Amino acid sequence: MSTIAPKFRLGHFIASLTDNIFWGVVLFTLIGLPIVFIVLFLIELPEIDGKLLSPYLAVTYIADPSRTLPIIQSLIQTDFFKIVAFPGFGFAALIAGATIFIERKFLAKIQLRPGPFYCGKVEGILQLMADGLKLISKEIIIPAKADKPIFWAAPVLFVATAAAFVSLIPVAPGWVVADLDVGLIAVFAIIGFFPIITILVSWAANSKFPFIGGIRALHQMVSFEIPLILSLLGIVILTGTLNLSEIVASQAGIWWIVFLPIGAIVFFISILAELERIPFDLPEAESEIVAGWLTEFSGMMYGLVQLGSYVKLYAFAGLFVTLFLGGWHGPMVVPPFPEEIITEGITMGPISIKIPGLPLFSQEMLNGTLWFVIKTMGVIMVILLPRGVFPRIRIDLLLHVGWYKLIGLCFLNLFIALGLIYGGVLGPEGFIQ
Amino acid sequence: MADATFLALSVLTIGSAIAALELRSLIYASIALMVTLGGVAGFFLLLDSPFVAMFQLAVYVGSIAVLILFTVMLVRRELIFTKIEDPRRRYAGVGLMLIIMLGIGAVIINSGLNTITTEEPPVDYRDIGKELLLYYWPALILMALILASSVIGALMLARREDVKGEQRTN
Repeated sequence: MSTIAPKFRLGHFIASLTDNIFWGVVLFTLIGLPIVFIVLFLIELPEIDGKLLSPYLAVTYIADPSRTLPIIQSLIQTDFFKIVAFPGFGFAALIAGATIFIERKFLAKIQLRPGPFYCGKVEGILQLMADGLKLISKEIIIPAKADKPIFWAAPVLFVATAAAFVSLIPVAPGWVVADLDVGLIAVFAIIGFFPIITILVSWAANSKFPFIGGIRALHQMVSFEIPLILSLLGIVILTGTLNLSEIVASQAGIWWIVFLPIGAIVFFISILAELERIPFDLPEAESEIVAGWLTEFSGMMYGLVQLGSYVKLYAFAGLFVTLFLGGWHGPMVVPPFPEEIITEGITMGPISIKIPGLPLFSQEMLNGTLWFVIKTMGVIMVILLPRGVFPRIRIDLLLHVGWYKLIGLCFLNLFIALGLIYGGVLGPEGFIQ
Repeated sequence: MADATFLALSVLTIGSAIAALELRSLIYASIALMVTLGGVAGFFLLLDSPFVAMFQLAVYVGSIAVLILFTVMLVRRELIFTKIEDPRRRYAGVGLMLIIMLGIGAVIINSGLNTITTEEPPVDYRDIGKELLLYYWPALILMALILASSVIGALMLARREDVKGEQRTN
């Protein structure tokens, strides 16, 4: 007798097999077939090489590498790809993950923390995975007297708002999810949602520490929105547009940080306050009020809020690069795609394959993305740096800085911008542009 | 497509407006109010004026709704309201609303407003800015003065008499 499965009976085994087959057939007819018909009848499939793409053709194309590339190429031009993968959420989440890893390494270097150095032998590469596994495996605890619908919805809303913010950031020429004419105003509109979510969740947790943290977050975010908005008006005056792509295109020669350094500094300080980074981390001050408005979150809900705040960090850094550091502009370092592969095909030994649809990405797009990512990571490093160095500042000093000094500096910045135009330095009749 | 969006927005806006009036929980009522204001922003988007829509979101949802939420959270409801449950008032209110809606609707439908079709492109915000600065500048300056005086008035009201100057700066 085998001891591995002592109660084994062939009849039960066959019965379970037929059971599985039955459920498979039922689920396929009830769910799978309708999906196939929806795809066939309702969704407009793209036309490739003059032929309408049907599911049968798609399967044959996948088997043939010379026909796969055109499909991929038409896929990456769709809105779905832009929203989900490249300039949209996937890209932002990737950068957010990299940011978390870099932050841990960076802090470990500054403060000599051992974990991110040795975890996983090679430069602490497993630390991020360990953090993620820890969060996923933890239980989600909802406080007994919490307001459950708001409490459940808040992390998802936080991530969704951060993702909406990401969709406005242009990464490379033409590579932006939503190229709005009023992009900068849309940024202000989206930033306004973060305090609402924060105050709602801090109220819904029905606990003292989150509520204190939420009130602090509300004070901080609302009062720093004003210098944040005012510090960008100088750029709007100089460029005469609110479209973020056009603002980037206007910096082909000189970046705006050269002309408006005060605006850039004020904007950077406001970013730190909006992101609740040290030294402005009063809403999550862990030595005073446990974890601020995040106190009652646990498990993956906490993970979602963290993901949202790092995606928001990427979006703000990208906005800084877009507005002040010239966005995708930079010297051309990506080599051009070799012509002979397009004209003659790839030769491997005796075989030579001609693949239509190459190059997948244009040279400008790759170069722009490279420079954008380099600059954004630089700005993110500067945002992370104060965490290892500075103490937290008091809330009255914070509000004093926001309401008195930064707003005054914003008006100074506006007058500089006006002076540059009326002094004839910039603008349509100026001697630079 | 636009009709479906319009219908969905209308249902959302009016439904959440009713919810904002009827819900017992003040927090949920103010969330419903936020949805209503967002729905109005959606109407502006449908009317090809994204500039106004974004300002509707930034000002009404982003600032005023936050103020309402903040006030509601800091004030205990039982202390300010005494409940008056009177079904007759309720029916009278519903009837009055229906009469007003029918009246306004009749006026709008008979005015010929619904037969206007226009092929004009959406208004560019640059044109709005030019008009404001070139033709309507007295109104702009008047608005700026009114806003500035109201801000100064608010500061004066918020000023506390019992706090000495040294305490305030520190």
